[in-house]
Amino acid sequence: MTLGWILLSCLIVLCALGVVLARSPISSAISLLVGFIGLAILYLALGAEFVAAVQVLVYAGGIMVLYLFGIMIVDNDLLRLSRQVHNQAWIVFLIVLVVFIWAGRKLYHAQYRAQPAPVAVAAQVAPRKAGSSNTGDVAKVMYGTFLYPFEAASVLLLVAVVGGVFLAKKEI
Amino acid sequence: MTTQALVLLGFILFCLGIFGVMARRNYIVVLLSIELIFAGAGINFITFSNAWHNITGQVFTIFLIAVAAGEAAVGLGFLVAIYRLKHTANVDEARELRG
Repeated sequence: MTLGWILLSCLIVLCALGVVLARSPISSAISLLVGFIGLAILYLALGAEFVAAVQVLVYAGGIMVLYLFGIMIVDNDLLRLSRQVHNQAWIVFLIVLVVFIWAGRKLYHAQYRAQPAPVAVAAQVAPRKAGSSNTGDVAKVMYGTFLYPFEAASVLLLVAVVGGVFLAKKEI
Repeated sequence: MTTQALVLLGFILFCLGIFGVMARRNYIVVLLSIELIFAGAGINFITFSNAWHNITGQVFTIFLIAVAAGEAAVGLGFLVAIYRLKHTANVDEARELRG
């Protein structure tokens, strides 16, 4: 079990590195796609089955296709020939490295409230009543407590669609 | 896997995403790096949803995916607009607002 966690984490981190370091944007996009599938497996192992399914459907199936279309629209030779990072990239690297080491140590040694023993498999997580499913639990909270945020999210998506169409028009 | 290790995993994704956003020139890779930051936040939500036996974190992850979808739509609209205007996809060549 522990080995599986380590392999999964390594897969996700390697895919993230691939996104940031790959020369061609299409390699970045494919790397991110694999990383998202690894992330979905992680969500599944942490007992969030519905979110894992949404992750695969919306992220891996929808958003990544959108990005691949974007790469297709833009001329690829143009993207590949030029330099890939700014001149000041090493400053960014140093800042991110310092922040990572400083805050990462704090995060790793922090004591989190109600800290359980090593997180177990999905079945032991989130004590469930008989006959209730993860999807049902999510739905109850989403359409109960978070009904108004849910409506706001749908308005946000509508605005994003209109904005995307407007921006991509011939004349702005 | 402990909560600490999962939080650290999310933080690694966040840092890589921040580096990609600030250092890369290619607009598409910048957008993909923003998705990495979203993924780091999602790992945190799911981790604490698991650790505290609270379903709210999972609901917020779904909201996060909705926000990411909207961001992708608007961002790619910008990509098409910038590419049509300047025939480039490098973020440091679109500098009209610099003054």
